[in-house]
Amino acid sequence: MAKTFDPVLLEVFRNLLFAASEEMGVALCRSSFSPNIKERKDYSCAIFDTGGQMAAQAAHLPAHLGSMPMSVEYVIERMALEPGDVVVLNDPFRGGNHLPDITMISPVYGRERGRQKLIYYVANRAHHADVGGIAPGSMSITTEIFQDGVVIPPVKLVRGGEMQEDVFALILANVRTAEERRGDIAAQIAANRVGERRILEIIERHGLAETLRYTVELQKYSERLTKAVIRDIPDGRYLFEDFMDDDGFGSGFVPIRVEITIRGSKMCVDYTGSAPQTQGSVNAVESIARTAAYYALRCLVPYDIPNNSGCMDPIEVIAPSGTVVNAEFPAAVAGGNVETSQRMVDVILGALARACPGKIPAASCGTMNNLTVGGMDHRAGPRQGRPYAYYETTGGGMGGGPWGDGEDAIHTHLTNTLNTPIEALEHAYPFRVSRYTVRRGSGGAGKHRGGDGIIREIELLGDATVSFMTERREKAPWPLNGGEAGMKGKNLLISGGEERQFSGKARLSAKRGDRIRLETPGGGGWGRKD
Amino acid sequence: MPGRETKTLRIGVDTGGTFTDFISFDGNRVRVHKVPSTPDAPERAILRGLDEILDGRGVALDITHGSTVATNALLTRQGAKTALVTTAGFEDLIEIGRQNRKELYNLAYRRPPALVPRDLRLGVAERLDEKGGELLRLKASDIKALNQKLRKAGVESVAICLLHSYANPSHEERVAEVIRKSGIHVSMSSQVLPEFREYERMSTTCVNAYVSPMMNRYLKDLELRLDSGRLRVMQSNGGVISSTMAGEEAIRTILSGPAGGVVGAYEVASRAGFENAIAFDMGGTSTDVSLLHGGVGFTAETEVAGCPIRVPLIDIHTVGAGGGSIARVDPGGALAVGPQSAGADPGPICYGKGDQVTVTDANLFLGRLDPEQFLGGRMTLDMEPVKAGIARLAKSLRIDDRQAAEGVVRVANQHMARAIRLISVERGHDPRKFALISFGGAGAMHACSLAEILGIPHVVVPGDPGILSARGMLTADVVKDYARTVLLPLEGLSKRALASHFSPLLQKGREDLKYEGFAKPAFSLFIDMRYLGQSYELTLPYQPETGVDLRESLRAAFDESHDARFGTSSPESPVEIVTLRVRGVGEVERPPARRLPKTRRDVSRALMGSRKMVFGGKQVEGSAYARDGFSRGNRFKGPALVCEFSATTVVPPGWECRVDEWGNLVLKNSG
Repeated sequence: MAKTFDPVLLEVFRNLLFAASEEMGVALCRSSFSPNIKERKDYSCAIFDTGGQMAAQAAHLPAHLGSMPMSVEYVIERMALEPGDVVVLNDPFRGGNHLPDITMISPVYGRERGRQKLIYYVANRAHHADVGGIAPGSMSITTEIFQDGVVIPPVKLVRGGEMQEDVFALILANVRTAEERRGDIAAQIAANRVGERRILEIIERHGLAETLRYTVELQKYSERLTKAVIRDIPDGRYLFEDFMDDDGFGSGFVPIRVEITIRGSKMCVDYTGSAPQTQGSVNAVESIARTAAYYALRCLVPYDIPNNSGCMDPIEVIAPSGTVVNAEFPAAVAGGNVETSQRMVDVILGALARACPGKIPAASCGTMNNLTVGGMDHRAGPRQGRPYAYYETTGGGMGGGPWGDGEDAIHTHLTNTLNTPIEALEHAYPFRVSRYTVRRGSGGAGKHRGGDGIIREIELLGDATVSFMTERREKAPWPLNGGEAGMKGKNLLISGGEERQFSGKARLSAKRGDRIRLETPGGGGWGRKD
Repeated sequence: MPGRETKTLRIGVDTGGTFTDFISFDGNRVRVHKVPSTPDAPERAILRGLDEILDGRGVALDITHGSTVATNALLTRQGAKTALVTTAGFEDLIEIGRQNRKELYNLAYRRPPALVPRDLRLGVAERLDEKGGELLRLKASDIKALNQKLRKAGVESVAICLLHSYANPSHEERVAEVIRKSGIHVSMSSQVLPEFREYERMSTTCVNAYVSPMMNRYLKDLELRLDSGRLRVMQSNGGVISSTMAGEEAIRTILSGPAGGVVGAYEVASRAGFENAIAFDMGGTSTDVSLLHGGVGFTAETEVAGCPIRVPLIDIHTVGAGGGSIARVDPGGALAVGPQSAGADPGPICYGKGDQVTVTDANLFLGRLDPEQFLGGRMTLDMEPVKAGIARLAKSLRIDDRQAAEGVVRVANQHMARAIRLISVERGHDPRKFALISFGGAGAMHACSLAEILGIPHVVVPGDPGILSARGMLTADVVKDYARTVLLPLEGLSKRALASHFSPLLQKGREDLKYEGFAKPAFSLFIDMRYLGQSYELTLPYQPETGVDLRESLRAAFDESHDARFGTSSPESPVEIVTLRVRGVGEVERPPARRLPKTRRDVSRALMGSRKMVFGGKQVEGSAYARDGFSRGNRFKGPALVCEFSATTVVPPGWECRVDEWGNLVLKNSG
């Protein structure tokens, strides 16, 4: 193999590009308004080359790994981005993944021989606590996309540096907490500016040609390492099937099926055989199906490699359209990104466990335990008389593995958002948290036990609408190698001393003084317990 | 000879991993001393060094100590047997943390275990609301039962952290009162960190409970052996406190040593005429950087050994790149440097034992380190095995030897540049407007190249760069920090109401500083603010002024600061006052800086000869100077080396060096 790059510059540019994407995240986190973005860091930032290939993504959320590139791809194929433009979108059928995730894409123009030239794109995506729709939090039980919230196809929110106030007003008129959205969206625009500024500084110092060249070299570098990992997996076809509990409309179990083919340094992940798209909102779109595959393989790479298109290129993903893993318009998709995505990871890891059993753990909690609550804040103070929308996910147990026990009370796989501090929560919302503990004994037994889930109980200080979007309430997280399954989760409403259990996906009206309790699933155990 | 002494000898002592450094000041002269550290019992090296300095003289001692006892107790998890008292139902908070994982793609990820094991986490029935109002009364009988459990468990230390205690400490105080009577060390979250966000407050309090008993014993023991004199301890906030207070709240000393370096660097920078500077301390295994923007910068967000710590400390960022960092070819064919380090054992190849190329070896290969002048010639560095090591590295990278050696230095510089960007650019400061103050054993070899990457025009290398931390301790004031979360809307806030919220903090400050011997301390006030609904605060200085509208002035200052930091502001959004902060300062007498005498001696007096060095792939001839031969006003151009006992300064081509009146090397990029 002829040497084509300078190993020193490779390391230099790896640092530079990664730092630029990280700095975008710092800017976004620090200047946004909503707890979901600031406290919980539910966002991602990335840089793309002019072909839409990912050049660098900060270590934010794995959930956005494969879906950000599809947003950029969708936009650049259809729109001409001029200097100073910022495109906003959340439409899952036009480059988005689910409505609460709002994506911002900006072109980066540099100068070459005195002329403006498009050289990169920067993009960021953040999960907004409310984007309208049938219930506060926009993560409810729905049957078509229009009930999920306001649909934003790719449009220019900023044109040549000018904020398009009419477009902005249209978006804000369709959400419950407009002030918060205004602040968060402004923060997202600011984050892209930071990315743009940083890229221009890199080019000023290292020159455009060299920067572009090493962008490609870094993509090749990640590709080489990813291929080496695939080559280590024995050639063959590996099948696995698991089920979603239901779609919230009585569908019963929803099968998710995968067949993985390994041939040399290529991997094909084929979801054929998964259920047709459902009436309820557990549908995913193709970008999510890809993300699950990229994530699972990325976990097998034993080194810290840069996140870019090279991590994805060796993987082919087949997600038949019209199915629950790649739904067609106008399916409701609110839960696909947060719930179905986790099950897709489960089946891919399950299949890989058949190929390389020494590297794969039992199933983790398998749900993000999404809880949304909305209503009016009647407490005295600056928030009095204002509507509020609260969204939070809760961790569970991690699966036990060949190496040891699974971790307790933690976010697993595609999510890694922080919890909202109780003291911050009680200031911001009319809630009282009455319990937050590890759900002891919920991890599956085994030679290496699964991690335990979490119990989180919240008392409502006013009437509110509550939505659960949760999984693993019917089908438990599976064990491996003779271990036992993790305990299933529970959604409870405690009203006047009476405890009612709700199904995994439910919307209910709760009264002041009611308590909502989430008991999240434990991870599966690994190996037979002696 | 007791009875005859009239003077007090002030001594700064910094316990480091390899050496314990001393700097003493008797009112006239400043002297420097060094003895090997004794890590298993740090006081031994201190006592030995003091004996050597005093040499039988009987003088009163006034010692400021930078200690690593608290840090090491935490890093090695060898602290006190500690229990945690929480609001019932929240015993696992310390374990759940923020429910996230540090490594996204690690299927085997485990958190570091919580400082307090599950069986020592005890819930007590009580509850306050976010304004401090009592929702559930705390029963005396429950406290009694709790106390019995703690005694039975035989714990040495207890952390108490109840929900919303920042707003009302009374429940924590009642629990503490009873437990203290059992002779157990108590850390209350409402005292250690009266700020909201329960996990971070709890973690900070637990760390304090975990490290304080050990620190307390160590300091008491040291005081006893010193038998006369005063002992103060350097805190992470750059100020000092009495050993008694340090033993109570050892968490405040967790970054004691590095803080001394930054204080020392600030002193150097301001004396040399640089208002804005970056402190750059490169050692064997890691590099600490800190921003000096018209003063020392602070943060309240750090993490040590996996435990978040939220007390104010000098904003120091550490990266795992130092002279001992190991170079290797990673599986994708890139050249990686660090964070693995050869440490002191086996050390770099040139020390004689190691076999993996380190940054120091690369510097030696490139002629940027004089093999004959290392540690004043006490140790000779071996070039031959270094050449072989570099050749091996170059071969596997398929580049030539010089490229490989320069590559190692360049990649290490890139890591350090990233650290500097983080504390400057990412916080809205342009490094091109700063000077780089370089110290630590390896800093001055890299400072100029690092400055070039960042566009920094000036580099300052103080004399004895290796003992700058101890020097900083001698010049540090007595500093106490106080804070309290209030969460008040700015709208409708009167000056009087604000003053009444500040007043308990000021009162506590006056009491504490009186105890430290200062009748008239100076106080600065700060306010953490945010737009209502945000979750990060900005800290702004606050000066109560007459004739100014409180709301308007705070509002304007906040909008402006938000815009400067994040590029946006939101003048229509309501603003919330989150936390009030007070810093009390008792000023100490600083040793006067010594000016170099004016002479007509030119730079040739310091010239030792010429050396071959490599820059940009080419071999060039440069001069080597002995630092102690320099006179005030001497100037020379790179390429050159300046050798002294504890460090070597590299002056690359295109740089010019001037010796200023304080003996600093001031390097300027003229290329």
